[in-house]
Amino acid sequence: MTAIAIKNLKKVYKDVTAVDGLSLEINEGELFSLLGVNGAGKTTTIKMLSTLVSPSGGDAEILGHSILKDPNAVKQVIDISMQETAVARKLTVKENIDFYARLSGQNAQEIQISKQAVYDIFGLDSVRDRQAQKLSGGWQRKLSIALALVSRPKVLFLDEPTLGLDVLARRELWKAIQALKGSMTIILTTHYMEEAEALSDRIGIMQSGKLLFAGTKEALFEQSGKQNVEEAFLHMVSGGVFDA
Amino acid sequence: MRESLVRILTLTGRNIKEILRDPLSFLFMLALPLGMEILFYFVFHKLTPQFEMKYLAPGIVVFSQAFLSLFAGLLLALDKATAFLTRLFVSQTKPHEFIFGYALSLLPITLAQSVLFFVIGGLIDPSLFGLGMIWAIPLSLVTSLLFIGLGILIGSLCNEKSVGGVASVIIMCQSVLSGMWFPLEGMGKEIVTFMKYLPFKNATDLIRNIVNGIGDPPLWKPLIVVLLYTAAALIAAILAFRSKMRAK
Repeated sequence: MTAIAIKNLKKVYKDVTAVDGLSLEINEGELFSLLGVNGAGKTTTIKMLSTLVSPSGGDAEILGHSILKDPNAVKQVIDISMQETAVARKLTVKENIDFYARLSGQNAQEIQISKQAVYDIFGLDSVRDRQAQKLSGGWQRKLSIALALVSRPKVLFLDEPTLGLDVLARRELWKAIQALKGSMTIILTTHYMEEAEALSDRIGIMQSGKLLFAGTKEALFEQSGKQNVEEAFLHMVSGGVFDA
Repeated sequence: MRESLVRILTLTGRNIKEILRDPLSFLFMLALPLGMEILFYFVFHKLTPQFEMKYLAPGIVVFSQAFLSLFAGLLLALDKATAFLTRLFVSQTKPHEFIFGYALSLLPITLAQSVLFFVIGGLIDPSLFGLGMIWAIPLSLVTSLLFIGLGILIGSLCNEKSVGGVASVIIMCQSVLSGMWFPLEGMGKEIVTFMKYLPFKNATDLIRNIVNGIGDPPLWKPLIVVLLYTAAALIAAILAFRSKMRAK
């Protein structure tokens, strides 16, 4: 069943077209990675789908709700983890989770369940009483992503979730993301090709606001004639200039 | 309605924790004005009636509230800078709920300011204690909303680096244009007339007059001016906040 149906989505900033007629369908429970160089339109796409930015044209439906006509219904089924760490700085890990759970309307029992779930997935139990601002960058990112799960979204947007993390912290986050696979629809943007290769069910490649490719890794390898995502990506966005 | 109230109280609780865990909040909103109240009273009260406790304490109460603009603005601007707010924009929370959440979180601090400065002032000069002082404490919540509203407006419009500069203009205006340190009458008739239309002197007059039982000008006059500026600041803050939420 289709979770996200994007129809000719467009975003124009003055004289710059950030997203140019994007059409795409993503299935329920799928982890879809959006790849692209800086300025390809990945983050703008995520912001439009999560109702943070109004499209200049087109529309998208999230679980049947239009982002244009019914943004409040969309907000009830989605959550987002931004590129930047977004936590309440002086609140402890536990207080951050309580805060987001209460804000999403959960009662005491539901809050307890949500808390335990994110503790289990992200291993946050060991730092539960530490203020967010005193955590390392890796733990802060984990908390930031964990908070996006507290509202129990059906569709989760992860915008460059491992940006700036060391290799160990990145692998730990991969593990956490893999644990979520199948339980919700995830749209992930990333610059790390190995991340997309390790985590995705399908991959989309954007360039200059347009979707160049959408499909499985195998389809990407077949279309590009390459054997890994990085080589295939380079081939697609450079038109073969960087081919070995 | 119930969901909205829960969201407002949840935001308020978080904001209170953020403010109370910042040692600078105590320094600027409580310790600094308290030090000024004690110091200026003992140095100047025999030289000029302006610094008698019955005039000084109400002035200090309102002056300390001007720092609420700084801390309300800083909290909001930092929330914007760290993408904390952007994430919350994806929740069901409405612009007015955010504004109430920020505003309500500062009211306990306002209450602490009023009680502290009046009680310490009363201990220094017991003639301050009276029915007027008791009335002044809840009324000071009204004047504090003016500065909270201005702070939220500044925080909505400015980034975390410029909030300090803009808020310090409000603190300076409250200090210089309120008449708390020196009578404004010496500045000329036109200036005094102009001050009657600004909120700073009116906020100080409101608290001073109720403490001292002064009926000239009538209490409703400064109250109306303060309420009009407060309403304008809060409405402008909600509009500015809404425009941030609906990025185009």
